[in-house]
Amino acid sequence: MNKEEILNGLSEAVILGKPDQARSYAQRSIDEGIDPLDAINNGLVKGMSVVGDRYAAREVYLPQVLMSANTMYAGLDILLPMIPSEELEDKKKVAIGVVEGDVHDIGKNIVKTMMTAGGFEVKDLGRDVPIETFISVAESIKTDVVAMSTLMTPTMDGMKDVIDGLIESGYRSKVKVVIGGPPTSPEFAEEIGADHRDANAQDSVAWLKEALF
Amino acid sequence: MNHIERDMAALSDAEADRLPTYPIACGVNRKLLGDNVTYSMWCKDPKIFANGFIAGQKYFDFDFAIGLMDLSVMAGDLGAHVRMDDENTPFVDKHIVHSLEDYEKLEVPDIRKGRSHVIVEGTRLFNEKLKNEVICAAFLEGPLLALTQTAGAERVFMDMFTDPSAVHAGLRTMVEFDRQMVEAFSETGVAGLVWDYLWGNYSCLGDEEYNEFEGCDKYAGMLNKLTADSGMALCIHNCADLPHLDTQVKKFKPVIYSMAYYPLIPDSPSAGEVIDKGYADNCLIAGNIDPQMFIRAKTEKISKVTSDLCQEVKTALCRRGLKSRYCIASGCEVPPDRATKLDNIKAVVDTVKRDGVLEGC
Repeated sequence: MNKEEILNGLSEAVILGKPDQARSYAQRSIDEGIDPLDAINNGLVKGMSVVGDRYAAREVYLPQVLMSANTMYAGLDILLPMIPSEELEDKKKVAIGVVEGDVHDIGKNIVKTMMTAGGFEVKDLGRDVPIETFISVAESIKTDVVAMSTLMTPTMDGMKDVIDGLIESGYRSKVKVVIGGPPTSPEFAEEIGADHRDANAQDSVAWLKEALF
Repeated sequence: MNHIERDMAALSDAEADRLPTYPIACGVNRKLLGDNVTYSMWCKDPKIFANGFIAGQKYFDFDFAIGLMDLSVMAGDLGAHVRMDDENTPFVDKHIVHSLEDYEKLEVPDIRKGRSHVIVEGTRLFNEKLKNEVICAAFLEGPLLALTQTAGAERVFMDMFTDPSAVHAGLRTMVEFDRQMVEAFSETGVAGLVWDYLWGNYSCLGDEEYNEFEGCDKYAGMLNKLTADSGMALCIHNCADLPHLDTQVKKFKPVIYSMAYYPLIPDSPSAGEVIDKGYADNCLIAGNIDPQMFIRAKTEKISKVTSDLCQEVKTALCRRGLKSRYCIASGCEVPPDRATKLDNIKAVVDTVKRDGVLEGC
């Protein structure tokens, strides 16, 4: 099997949502000596980009997107450890999570997937994340982005608390803060001092790339 | 016209004095019962639940009353852990489906207990008090929503893709749960039942997936028929961004369809567009003030937005040859936060009374 076939196999696995196929091709790419970064970018990520475009065009829906994301991570679990750490140093880092008091994380997971596919190194803080955790993680791993989401109105103010905490700690000027979730809006982002709020994951990633690269 | 006369006129698109209005104020009504009444008290006691709606009607003078509690009622009674903070909307924080086999193990709870009992009994109580003043309706989670709340939406969506038969097993239990709740609500005397069919939206499911896991020929079709056969008017609420209007309005044929509007989402239909496309031809559409405005907007601002919406709706109704078939509502529930401004709810109602007057085209 040549390199092109392996990369296509990785892409196809993601597009079709087949994690076992992704694991198999990821292992083959290592066995064949393909650069793991090449396998990620031109295999897994390429496939996820196709799925993202199809989702935006409403040709596929959430079940397929979630399975594709699951598949991409199955491949990444094998390929990422193969990349020498110095090659990852240039990657922009994101800390992402659902703010304290809320556990609805589908939207956050879609954004995380698109950020990973977009070349970011994503630290997923999970859901119901305490304010202090966003701040301490941002500082300790020196993230370039703090991304927060919520579905529930009562927890929206937690986003402002995180931003205020970043200001207090002196780290605010070093990060872009993006927010998301149905009750949020660009006006709310401006009100609380966030940098951006977008309507969907892909546009948010595109904005970050523009802002950071 | 009194409220019921106005409601009936709008439902049948007859001449009405003005547009009806119902900001979906439910949990927030507890604020009218005193500062010591928390959300958790309100949603666990049928009398407090009912008293909230009764107080809300007296204070705000709505045209409808709909007994929405929150979306963790069924999941909680099925055994999922519900986080119940005093002043936050309760939500499921521990799901109970961890394997495909777990879908089969779901069992319908005893609806005479738990919050199922609270919502049924509370609905009965407020309907008894308000039924001669406004049209009252019960509120119930559709089967797919109840299952995602119980099992976790991400899990259910992925299992739809890989193991649909397991998901259907879980849905059959939800349908039986819903069937028992429909029966119980029909005995409360309410005029209508509002189904929350949230997942019929194009951000999450396509027509094919929705039809397979809830749609017209499946569970929702059966439950819609059961609702009507049980003597309650079929109503639907869907606050998602891109609702399946062709299925949920044109095929399900509800008498009321409540929906939200997301101006930042491409293709999210405005009130005018919904009317222009014929969805109000045979159904009272309710929408679509942004619920966040009830917390964050100044009263002057929400009054202006309401006034503009009244004008948009009246113009579109005339364009379509309709008379009154739109209810000025809030799209989603008015946030039940302590911070929600009661003055803003009142401002919406008062503005509709002034600017929603129908004077003919």
